[in-house]
Amino acid sequence: MTIGGISSDLEFRNWILQQPEGQTLLRCYQCGRCTSACPVAEIDSSFNPRLFLEKIILADEALAEERLIWTCLTCEQCEVRCPEHVKIPQILILAKVRGLATGNTPQTALDRARSILRQGRTIQVSDPMIKTREKMELPDLGSPPVEQLTKMLTDLKLAKRLESTESRYGGGESE
Amino acid sequence: MSRVQKYTYFPGCMIPFRLPHFELTIRKVLERLDVDMIADEGHTCCPEPTTFTGVDFEAWLTVGARNVAVSESTGRDTLALCSGCFHTLAIARHMIHSEQDIRERVNSRLKKIGMEATGNVTVKNILHVLHEDIGLERIKKQVVHSLKGISLATHYGCHLVRPIEATHMDDAENPRWMENLIQAVGAEAVDYEDKMACCGAPIAPSDEAKSFRLTAEKLRKIRAAGADAIVMICPTCYTQMEMQQKKTAEYLDSEFSIPVLYLGEMLALAMGMVDLVTSNSRRYHRVKIQSLLEKMGVGK
Ligand code: SF4
Ligand code: SF4
Repeated sequence: MTIGGISSDLEFRNWILQQPEGQTLLRCYQCGRCTSACPVAEIDSSFNPRLFLEKIILADEALAEERLIWTCLTCEQCEVRCPEHVKIPQILILAKVRGLATGNTPQTALDRARSILRQGRTIQVSDPMIKTREKMELPDLGSPPVEQLTKMLTDLKLAKRLESTESRYGGGESE
Repeated sequence: MSRVQKYTYFPGCMIPFRLPHFELTIRKVLERLDVDMIADEGHTCCPEPTTFTGVDFEAWLTVGARNVAVSESTGRDTLALCSGCFHTLAIARHMIHSEQDIRERVNSRLKKIGMEATGNVTVKNILHVLHEDIGLERIKKQVVHSLKGISLATHYGCHLVRPIEATHMDDAENPRWMENLIQAVGAEAVDYEDKMACCGAPIAPSDEAKSFRLTAEKLRKIRAAGADAIVMICPTCYTQMEMQQKKTAEYLDSEFSIPVLYLGEMLALAMGMVDLVTSNSRRYHRVKIQSLLEKMGVGK
């Protein structure tokens, strides 16, 4: 279906509306205050949170494929100024989630997610790090119970999806 | 006579392993104030809220809820030193507590590992503990070296403060707790333009140039206000604004050299624990703090 030159997929909009805080989208009346409060919009006029919400309202799934959605800081400057308390960064997060299926995800985001599932931490803990803690007489923190994460997340099949996902986004190398 | 107050310490990844001087200084400061932090091995990565959310929000919420459940089982309030961890735990707790369908859905997954989250636990950041639980008066009593004559700019960072319904901070646009702590140790808290502007770090993985342009803007405004140093809480903001401060020169035609202190370091200096700060300053401060310490009258 095409509305005003955009491809429309109601399934996408309905999915957003069912997700946590997704319903707040319906309160948006397109006033544009979010965009005027946004620090990213200030340095890049193609980043426009009001327009992103318009696209979702019009059920334009192509938003999930836009690289720009990953340049939202999740700083919530927009949200505190929105007269309707629309959860703008949360809605953009949901659009990012939809983009995973086609690899619109920065490499670092995939690396961190894999690391969390594999070792329960975002970073690789090295011997020197542990030695530094010992030298500072800070307590041993043990190792996270990774088996529990795996078991608990089985129905989401995230590990499987991550295995088959390649980032076509690129971005900076993982830290 | 005073009883020791205990919190469950949520360590996360960044502070204990990348910036352990945060943990070290705040532990010693809290000890002086009769407060103890106790870690629980059951906790995992929070998970971090800036990229994992956009990979799989449900997984983020579920892992966050599991950490909340671990916290609940300790029977103490939880203190998360890292702002990212605090943000994740506070939102997960808030969602579980206030929305029945989320609580049920998430608990159906937790059940597989014999756990349950109700949201009946208090998740705090270091400002809740210092400003609200301990209070300024008790802190002032431990100040042995006033930081009089020093002007400090606060950087709260977004995720410590917002969304206010989950963070329970004093104000979403103009929080004041850190300013009050600065004044409690005798220093001056300077205001500057766009105090609540983001450090830029969350988008470093997706667009480094934009990320550091925002950092440079932020540092420019702090410098314009004439601050001697910046005081902050979040390890991610610290990594961006301190460890990588030199990098911002590529995005603004001037170089910065603004010292940055972790809040725990500022308090340790005012409480006379100078060695604690100086013994680690070479390793964790790329912007030298020597002249700042001299101005404070504690330099060697
Ligand atoms: S400020 Fe709120 S209501 Fe106005 S356009 Fe943005 S999201 Fe919609
Ligand atoms: S949360 Fe995202 S859209 Fe909102 S102001 Fe910050 S960068 Fe802009």
